[in-house]
Parts: sequence; C-alpha cells; structure tokens
Amino acid sequence: MAQSSEPTILEMRSITKEFPGVKALENVSLTVRAGEIHAICGENGAGKSTLMKVLSGVYPYGSYTGEIFFQGAESRFSNIRQSENAGIVIIHQELALIPLLSITENIFLGNEPRKGFAIDWIEAKRRAIELLARVGLDDDPDTLVKDIGVGKQQLVEIAKALNKSVKLLILDEPTAALNESDSQHLLDLLRGLKGRGITSIMISHKLNEIEAIADEITILRDGKTIETLDVAKDGVDEDRIIRGMVGRVLENRFPKRNAKIGEVFFEVKNWTVQHPHSADRLVVKNSSFTVRRGEVVGFAGLMGAGRTELAMSLFGRSYGNFISGQVFKDGKEIRLRNVDEAIDQGLAYVSEDRKALGLNLLDDIKTSITAAKLSKISKLDVVNKVEEYNVSEKFRKSLRIKTPTVDEGVNKLSGGNQQKVVLAKWMFTDPDLLILDEPTRGIDVGAKTEIYGIINDLAASGKGIIMISSELPELLGVSDRIYTIFEGAITNEMTAEQANPESLMRSMTSSNKKAS
Amino acid sequence: MSDTTPTTGTESVEKAPFRFRDLGKMFGGSQSSGRQFGILGALVVIIVLFEILTKGKTLDPNNLINIVNGNAYVLILAVGMVMVIVAGHIDLSVGSVAAFVGIVVAQSMYVWHWPWPLAMVLGLVVGAIVGAWQGWWVAYVGVPAFIVTLAGMLFFRGANQFVGNSTSIPVPREFTFIGGGFLPDFGPDFGFSNPTLILGLLAAVAVIWQERRLRSNQRKMGAVSAPVWVSVVKVVVLLLVVIGATYLFASGRVGTSYPIAGIILAVLVLGYSFLTNNTTIGRHIYAVGGNWRAAELSGVNIRRVNFFVMANMSVIAAVAGMLWIARSVASGPGDGVGWELDAIAAVFIGGAAVSGGIGTIVGSIIGGLVIAVLNNGLQLLSVGADRVQMIKGLVLLVAVGIDVYSKRQGKPSIIGLLTRGRRTGVDETPVPAAPVGTQTPTPSQGGAQETARPQDLTPEG
Amino acid sequence: MKKLVIATASFAAIAAMTLAGCSARTDTGTGTGDEAAAGFAADATIGVALPDKTSENWVLAGQLFTDDLTAAGFTPDVQYAPASNTVAEQQNQITSMVTNGAKVIIIGAKDGAQLSAQVEAAHDAGATVIAYDRLILNTEAVDYYLAFDNFKVGQLQGQALLDGLKAKFPDKTSYNIELFSGSPDDNNAGVFFNGAMDVLQPKIDDGTLVVVSGQTEVAQTATQGWLAANAQSRMDTLLAANYQGTDLDGVLSPNDTLARAIIESVRSAGKPIPVVTGQDSEVESVKSIVAGEQYMTIYKDTRSLVAAAVDMVKELQAGKEVSEINDTKSYDNGVKVVPSYLLAPVVVTKDNAKDAYANNPDLLAAAGGS
Repeated sequence: MAQSSEPTILEMRSITKEFPGVKALENVSLTVRAGEIHAICGENGAGKSTLMKVLSGVYPYGSYTGEIFFQGAESRFSNIRQSENAGIVIIHQELALIPLLSITENIFLGNEPRKGFAIDWIEAKRRAIELLARVGLDDDPDTLVKDIGVGKQQLVEIAKALNKSVKLLILDEPTAALNESDSQHLLDLLRGLKGRGITSIMISHKLNEIEAIADEITILRDGKTIETLDVAKDGVDEDRIIRGMVGRVLENRFPKRNAKIGEVFFEVKNWTVQHPHSADRLVVKNSSFTVRRGEVVGFAGLMGAGRTELAMSLFGRSYGNFISGQVFKDGKEIRLRNVDEAIDQGLAYVSEDRKALGLNLLDDIKTSITAAKLSKISKLDVVNKVEEYNVSEKFRKSLRIKTPTVDEGVNKLSGGNQQKVVLAKWMFTDPDLLILDEPTRGIDVGAKTEIYGIINDLAASGKGIIMISSELPELLGVSDRIYTIFEGAITNEMTAEQANPESLMRSMTSSNKKAS
Repeated sequence: MSDTTPTTGTESVEKAPFRFRDLGKMFGGSQSSGRQFGILGALVVIIVLFEILTKGKTLDPNNLINIVNGNAYVLILAVGMVMVIVAGHIDLSVGSVAAFVGIVVAQSMYVWHWPWPLAMVLGLVVGAIVGAWQGWWVAYVGVPAFIVTLAGMLFFRGANQFVGNSTSIPVPREFTFIGGGFLPDFGPDFGFSNPTLILGLLAAVAVIWQERRLRSNQRKMGAVSAPVWVSVVKVVVLLLVVIGATYLFASGRVGTSYPIAGIILAVLVLGYSFLTNNTTIGRHIYAVGGNWRAAELSGVNIRRVNFFVMANMSVIAAVAGMLWIARSVASGPGDGVGWELDAIAAVFIGGAAVSGGIGTIVGSIIGGLVIAVLNNGLQLLSVGADRVQMIKGLVLLVAVGIDVYSKRQGKPSIIGLLTRGRRTGVDETPVPAAPVGTQTPTPSQGGAQETARPQDLTPEG
Repeated sequence: MKKLVIATASFAAIAAMTLAGCSARTDTGTGTGDEAAAGFAADATIGVALPDKTSENWVLAGQLFTDDLTAAGFTPDVQYAPASNTVAEQQNQITSMVTNGAKVIIIGAKDGAQLSAQVEAAHDAGATVIAYDRLILNTEAVDYYLAFDNFKVGQLQGQALLDGLKAKFPDKTSYNIELFSGSPDDNNAGVFFNGAMDVLQPKIDDGTLVVVSGQTEVAQTATQGWLAANAQSRMDTLLAANYQGTDLDGVLSPNDTLARAIIESVRSAGKPIPVVTGQDSEVESVKSIVAGEQYMTIYKDTRSLVAAAVDMVKELQAGKEVSEINDTKSYDNGVKVVPSYLLAPVVVTKDNAKDAYANNPDLLAAAGGS
C-alpha cells in the first residue's frame, strides 16, 4: 500500500476541456503518488478517457486549460511522442497492435533498435524475449499478433510500454475483453510492476477488480472530480464506489420480476459447428438446450468457450461451417440457413460487438431501428418514412433512448443508448427468441439496470431470452436458468437458485459435470 | 453525462423564434446535408465568379445548353457511381463499357441498319449483360470491384476497338436527339421555347408539392418541423432558381430548348434519388457500405446488393455511352477514356466517403456541376487545358480536404460553422457528450473491424 | 387550396416573363453560313482548337497560330485538348469558342468523326470552320480543309523504303522487312499505313519483300497510343521470334519516335541497323539520319501550313473568296466534298537534309548545316 508520504509523481490541476457545445472536463484535479495503482472510476461519458487523453498529449497543450505537473515539472505535451518520452504510456481500450506483424515487430514499432540504417533484428528479438518474460509470456516473439489471444495481446502492449522505460502506465479498461484468468494474470502483473516502482493509472468498469488492486480511487462524474478515496483507509467497497459514481445508492441492480415461465418452445439438439478456417476444429460440440416462453436462459462460459459461436451459428449460420444438429420451434423442426430465414422464424441476435456487428455507425437512429425488418414498414419495397419515424419514436420513448430526435446519428449516442437502439432494432422484428450476447458490455451501471429492466419486460411478454454474459453476478441476477459452456460443449445446467459464482466457474473451467 | 438522467425538453422546440440553424433545415435534416449545403454554396460562388469574369457569357442561354449537353454523360455516370461508392466499391470500367456499348449501338444502326429504338434497347441489354458479368465476379466470386473493373476497363476498351476496327463509326442523324437534341417547339410564339416553359412550370409545381408533402409528413410524425417562414423562404428561393433557369433555357437560339440529354439526366436523378432514399434496396446499399457485417446480421442479402450496384452501374454506363455517341454523331476508339475518373471526382466532391456508406445522388450531381462549370468557365477564358486540369485537381483535393478537416474538428461541416454557438439551451442538454469517453467511433475504424470478426474469435479457454 | 394559389402565382410569373420578351424569339437566330462572305471585324476572335500535345508539331503549330494571328491583328483563342477525355474536351472547347463569338474556327481534330454536332453549331452561329490537318467527317458545316497529304506521306515512306533497300543491299533480290503502324485510335495511322502498302503490297506479292513474321494487317502492326515503348517491345519480340538466323533488312515505321525505338531495339539485339523509315522530322531523328542510322523522314513544314491557314482567315475577314484551293475532288467527308488546300510532304534523307531544312534553323543545325 502506498503511504501518503510517498512523493507525488503526477498532479493535474483544474483541467477543463471543451468540445463544441459540450464541457467534457470541468475543473478536474488528479493527484497520483509514485508507485501506487490509482484507479479512475466513473460512468461512461464521465470524462475518464478524455482526462487520460489530455494527460498523454492526444489533446495537445493549449486545447485544454489547467496545468499538469509530472515528476515535479510542468508538462506541456503537444503529442503522444512527447508524453512517451517523458515516461507516460497509455494503453487504449482498442489495442494499438498491428495484427499482421509479429510480437517483436509490434513491441519495437516506431522504436526499432538500429545498426546503422538497418534494423537490428537480433538485438530486437533478444530484448523482446526479455520483455515478454517480464510480463509472463513465453510465446515465440516471431508469432503474429493476430494469432495470439486478446489477453496475450494486452500483455504485449504492456511489454511494449516497458520497452519505452515507462514511469507511469495508463490502462484504459484493460480487462474489458479478457476472461477471468487472463484478467487475474494482468492484475498480478500490475502488482508486480508496482513492486518495481512503476506507477499505474487504471480505468475500469469492473469494480471488484478495482477494489482488489487499487491503492487510491478517483471518481469522476459528469466531467467533474467527485472524490478521491484511499482504499486502505476509507474502507472502500463496491457499493461505496457505485455510490460515488452515480451520486446515489443504486438499489436493485437487478430489478425483480415475477417470472411467468411457460412451455418449452425452442429446442436445439446436437448442434455441432466447425471453425470457418480449420476443418479439424469444432467450436461447438454436440450441444443441446431448451428455452421456455417467458424464460431468461443464461449462458456462462469463458471468452472463446464457444458461446458467441453457438449463438451466431444458430442465427442463420452467421459463423463457422454447420456440421449437424436440429432446431425445433413449437415442436416443429425449422431451418435457419441464412439470417433472413432466422429472422422470419422469430430469432433475433444482439451481437456482443455493438460497433462492428450491431450498428451502422453512419446511420441515424430511425434507420438503425428499422434495418432488420424494413419489410414491416414498406409497401412494394418503398419505405414509408412516416411510419418509420413513428415506430422509432415509440421505441425512443419506451426504452428511454436519450436523444432529442430519432433523426440523430447513432454515433452521437453513448454506449448504453446505442445498445438500446440495437435492442429496439431487434424488438422491432418482433422475435420469439431474443439472443443477447454480452448486452451490457462497456456500458455504465445506470444503463445496465435499464437494460435488465427491458430484458424483464420482454420475458414478461412471453418471449424467450438467451443471455450470454461474462459477468457472473449479472447472469445470476437476470437468468432463470443457466447453462455453462466449456470448450464448445455444454457442461452443466442449473437453475438460478442452485447456481452461485463458484459452482458456475467450476463448470466453466472443466468438462466434469457437477452432480446437481 | 449519465444515462440515468431523465430525458429533458425534447419536444419544447416547436415555437422557437428566428434561429439561424433553421436555415440548415432547408436542405433536410440529415447528417450529410451540411456537406451538400457547402458544395452547393461553392457551385453558386463559381457560377457568379465566372459570370463576372466572362462578362456574362457563363449564363448565356446557349452556353448553359452547352454545359448540360457537354456534361450530361459524366453526370449520368455519377448517378451510378455514387451508389457503387456508397456500397463500398469502385467502378473503373465505366468509360470502357460506355465506349463498348456505344460502338455496338453505332454498329447496329450504321452497319446492320437497325432502327434507332431497337438499337437503344440493344445498348441497354448489352449494358445489363456486361453489368451482370462484372456484378457476378464482385458479388458471388468475391473479387474486389477494383480488380474486376480494372479488368473490365482493359477488356471493354479492347472490345470497343475490336468491334469498331479501331475506327469511328458514325450514327444516323435521327439518333442524335438524345445527346444533342431539343424538344420541338409548338403553340403560339411568345419568343421563348414553349416546351421549356412547360418543363419549368412542372418543376415549379413539383417544388411546392414536395415542400407541402414534407411538412404534412412531419406533422404526421409529430416531428419537429422548421418554422413556416423557413419553408416559405426555401420555396421562394427554389422557385426563383427554377424561374431563372427556365427563362435562360427558354431564350436560347431558335430551335433550342432545355436539352433532351438534360431531361434524361433529370429523370435518372429523380428516379435514383427515390430509389436510394425511399426503397429497401436503397437502404440496403447504405447499410452494406456503412457496415456490411452488421447489415449481414440484420438479414440483408449482401451479395444481391453488391450485384445490383455493379450491374446497375454498367447499365447506366450504357446510357451514358449512347448519349455520348449521339452528341458526337459517331462512336470512336478513344471514347470514354478517363470518364471513370471524372465521375468518381464528382461523387467525392459531392460529399461521398471513400470508405463507403456516405454519399447522395444530388450531392454528386452538384459535385459534377462544380467541375463542369469550372471547366466551361476556364475554357471561355481561354485558359489552356494543362492549367484547367491542374485547377480541377486542386478543386477535388480542397473540397474533400475541407470536409475531412471539418469532420476532424468535430464540426458538422460548413453548416455547423454557421450555426455553432447559436443553439438554444433546450436543444443542447439531451445530446450525449459525443467526444467524451470512448464512444467516438470514426467511420474509418470499420475497415479493421470488418476483418477482425468473427473469424478470429480465437478460443483461449 | 394554398397549393393551388402558389402554383397559379408561379405560372403567372412565368407567363409575365414570357410576354415581356415577346416576339424576340423569331428575331434572334440570324446566323447562317452565308454571312461569312460579308467579312467581319479586323480584330475578331479566331478560335484554334488543337488536339492534345502529343508531338512537337502541334506545339509548334499552336505557337505559330498565336503569333501569326496576333501579328495580323486578330484576337487568337488557341486551345489544346487535354490528354485524357480528349474528344469530349475538344467538343467543349469548340462550343466555348462559339460562345466567345469566334468568326473563324480552325480545328485540328482529335477524332474527325466526332465533332460534327459542334461544328454545325459553330456554323449556325455564323463562324467559318476550317479543318486543319485532319478532316472533319459527316457534316456539311466544314468550309475548308488544309493539310499535308497523308496518303501521300504513306506512299513516300513505302517508296523510300524500297529505294533505301536497293541502295543499301545492291546484291540482294529479296529483302526481309517488318511493318509498323500507328495508334489504332488515330484515323491517320491507317491512312499512312494504307499509303505505304499501296507501294509495298505489289512487292510483297511478287516476293521482292518478305515480311518474315507474316504480320501485315493494320491491327497486327498497330502501336497503341503511338508510344515508343510499345513499338520497342514489339520489335524485341519480332527479333527474338523470327530473326535468330536471318537478317532484318528494312522496317516501315510510321513516324520518327517509333523509328528511333525500333532502331534501339535492333541495336540492343546486336543486329545491324536496317533501313528504317520515319516522319515528322524530329530533331533527334534528323541527327540519326545524318549519322547514317535512320534512313529517312518526312518533312511537313508546319510553318507553311499555318501560314496558309492564316492567309485564309485574312481573306475571309476581307470578305473575299478563298483563293488557295488546290483540290476540290479528293476529300469527301461522307456528306460533301470539302474544298481543300494540300501541301506536299518532302522526303528527307542524308543526301538532301541540308537543302530540305534550309528555312528551319533548328533542323538545319541538327542536320549539320549552319
């Protein structure tokens, strides 16, 4: 734990940053002591990332007001290069690695060791192995980055930072895309770096991680500093952080509902899917499950376990090569050979990757909402724009999408509101079975609760819901029944009452069925 | 800004007094309209500038007719090209396809003595076959359109010279009306071209009808519509333009009217604008260009969309080719060289994005007119072709450069500059802080993400 | 209701404008071809539309037109078409000249078959149209044609090739030759080639000349875009395929640029330089001829052609009949026989180079004269 006597390494004073029409940061101050892990919390749009961009020179000196003191001297960075030279390295949420280059090439990109005019690859590789060892990776440094998992990519980013003799490491949502064990590894690594005197600033939505690792926590809300908590002294727990973030006590993070669960109406038998590129790899193995009307069925599994692959292959074979399996709806076998058929059969799939797979970010809200079933508002292929507007207005109001008008572009919405648009888009198709893949990823606590409410309403109206999530508390809070997946196969099934995080985790990490 | 604060004041803008931003509503409320407004302003500036520099020759009726006749084929190509570019492709073959169709049509009339209507049908059929061929490679085999149409550019250039023996083939006079002809005059002599007056009247009625329909739709939607004065000003401005244009086109040399090539262009612009704005296939084109993965997961048949835009482009190229041989009274071996670049330039000046998903037909036509008027004005000033090309290159660069720059500044382009700081508070509050946090995606991210998922969902567990 | 009111109002507005301009319609269109005979202002605008600057001759012609027309008191409007989309831009340039009120428009057509509509518009507006170097086809609206005789050029090239072969290889009775023609999208390319074949074909038929590759069609011998690189690579291929064991005695080349490319190809193949024809009298080729490499070229004195054109303009301005017409039979453009003034091309070899270029200092210097 950091002592208050430790010298200050960074002080940001009265930072104010404005964008046209919006004050993103207002008078924000941040003090970070040398050798600590300092967490920054806040809802989406609270200004966390903007603050870090100011710090790292993405927003150059002069585009904001206020002062930054780093290691005692005032810093006026006008680009990232300058802040990196000073020892501040930022690792963004979207990794800045080049997939088709090797680990070594990525680590030394823009910073290549030279021998004369040529790159000294031998030296580079030697140092790469050394750096990889420091972050706990033993992969061949010649491996292409695209061939290693997201967790390892994150570590490569850190190795890259270490190569730049980093003094202050900034991590923006480092574990957002990682599974439990990778996250754990990363957090251990941060502790190790701390032991070697490297200061870290970490932005995260995962409050349990913050609680576990941070020495101090600064909370931002609506572009303002709310408070800085000393974890050891103030006795901080998750509820305390949430209170600071949302400005009130959030009760009922998982709103109660009276589930009226009906018959089994959707059944998948022996579903098997092959990896699209390697024929010898089965990503979904012989999986069978059922969904009842009005029921929320959770799918728990680590990243890469095959949850998304299962969902997408069901949804009109959008992923992989179909090998075998049957789908029954209301007792009759149905065919789902393409997305169009799947939609016609009443399936809807809300993708885990909102921006890449869920939305056309160039569209406005109304065209996004109607995109999956334009035929519903068209006659002879001509879209009725009045109806389109009215339909989307209805969704705007019922889902409380925060925007002045549905003519607004979806790229102007926050993550939570974008997710609501995606939900509206699929609710518009009037599905019987709604598959939600990580529906709350990357959105803030308040919006999450609203999404849970929408899920409950949908279930209450008799629809079947499949919910895929990496957050076990969320799964436990929302689902009626939970399947666990490990390496492409369903390993267990339990009711929400039977399940707890430990039992789920056990079934998610081994194929031995627990007797239930 | 948190998601939990309740929505405020979204309906409270109805009775606002004069607000500068309402002017923006004259050109529609969507995201790309700002850009079109800017380029339209540029067109007006260029026209006024050259009208002064050429001492009134630019808006001379006969010169206007020349501009329309001399550029109709490029503008027609731009109509098809904008759809190709919006879908995220490119078509380099249009010039060669136009030349190929041109020589086939000329051959059918001159050598085989087909009547011209039959020859035109033949031209459209040939265009459709060529388009189906290229569309099949792009959509169903998956070869990038750049490669397919580069191949088409070479192939159909050669095919033109093969069919025509590398010589020019003349076309009969009765065919030339579609490229250089005029509407026959009739009725009493007012000193003007009567058919042009009637066209002008139709256009005026259409302008008024369109605005009324817009307002009535907005009422039906319960949407925020601009104050009445905005509509009135808009209609008056548009009517003045229509009346002015009608007057000019009607007062050309005896025997002239608004050119037939211009009528063909107008029909195509109206038809395809409707297609892109109001039909499902139009929506699908934008969806595929904006994010094809998301479109696919929304049930859009991507192959069919790609096939359609590529095939349609070649049919439009066939129309352009026939217009051209009608204007030139012959089809030659050098026809269509460089046309693809003119059409592409028009589309980009008109506000389309290189990465696809953005662009409008009207914008592209305005972009094409900017080039056309510039070209014409410089020629009237006897500026050499070398310098004209240099200027055109710079105009393209500057037009797109301004757009990219204004986007990066987070300003919604020129209209945004005009209206910034004049917004009233109620409009402001509910807008989430776009630049804050991590939710500011740029369209260019799409490219990397497209390929990253889901094939690379590497299991790690 | 409201709609109706606005519609009526706008119609009234248009109608009012219509009536205001009453009776103007029948008065305007006065331009007819006959008007030219009455002459025009001494400082009138004279349009000169030239094709893209692909050869030195066009560049020179543009300069001479500007200088000579200015000297004669006219206002020249000289425009070159750009290299891309050439025909379309040339059309636009001609219509712009009409808008600018040009009284005479001299046109060096990119493609003479594709300008009839614009030329007719010019004629209707009262301008006299002179086709320069390249005939404009399929229209009544061409008044005069001024050119070197291109078929004659081809014939001279063919004859010179025969002469050169006889002179260089007095012992041989049959000669191995190859044929090159110009760009397939240039009508003149075919005219040159046909002119040459007019002389060569009988000799090929009787076995005096042997085209070893067998490539004697225009399409086979074409050089896309008149580009030296294309000619050079074709020559490389021909040599490699057909001349491993035999000698190449002569090559018909349509112009100087291609001739030098062909010579370069032969040289790099290690073969003796054959008799190569040319055209245009480019400086480098004149040097080559003097050095004994290229056999001949054709001199088409751009100065005389431009001077003849400017003389015509002067006569038109004064309202006189155009006097310098020496051919009223040969040049049928498909609709009418265009009155023509043809200048004779001159064959230049090593022997007569200094005499032929006597009035052209640049070329004279290249030919080693002073």
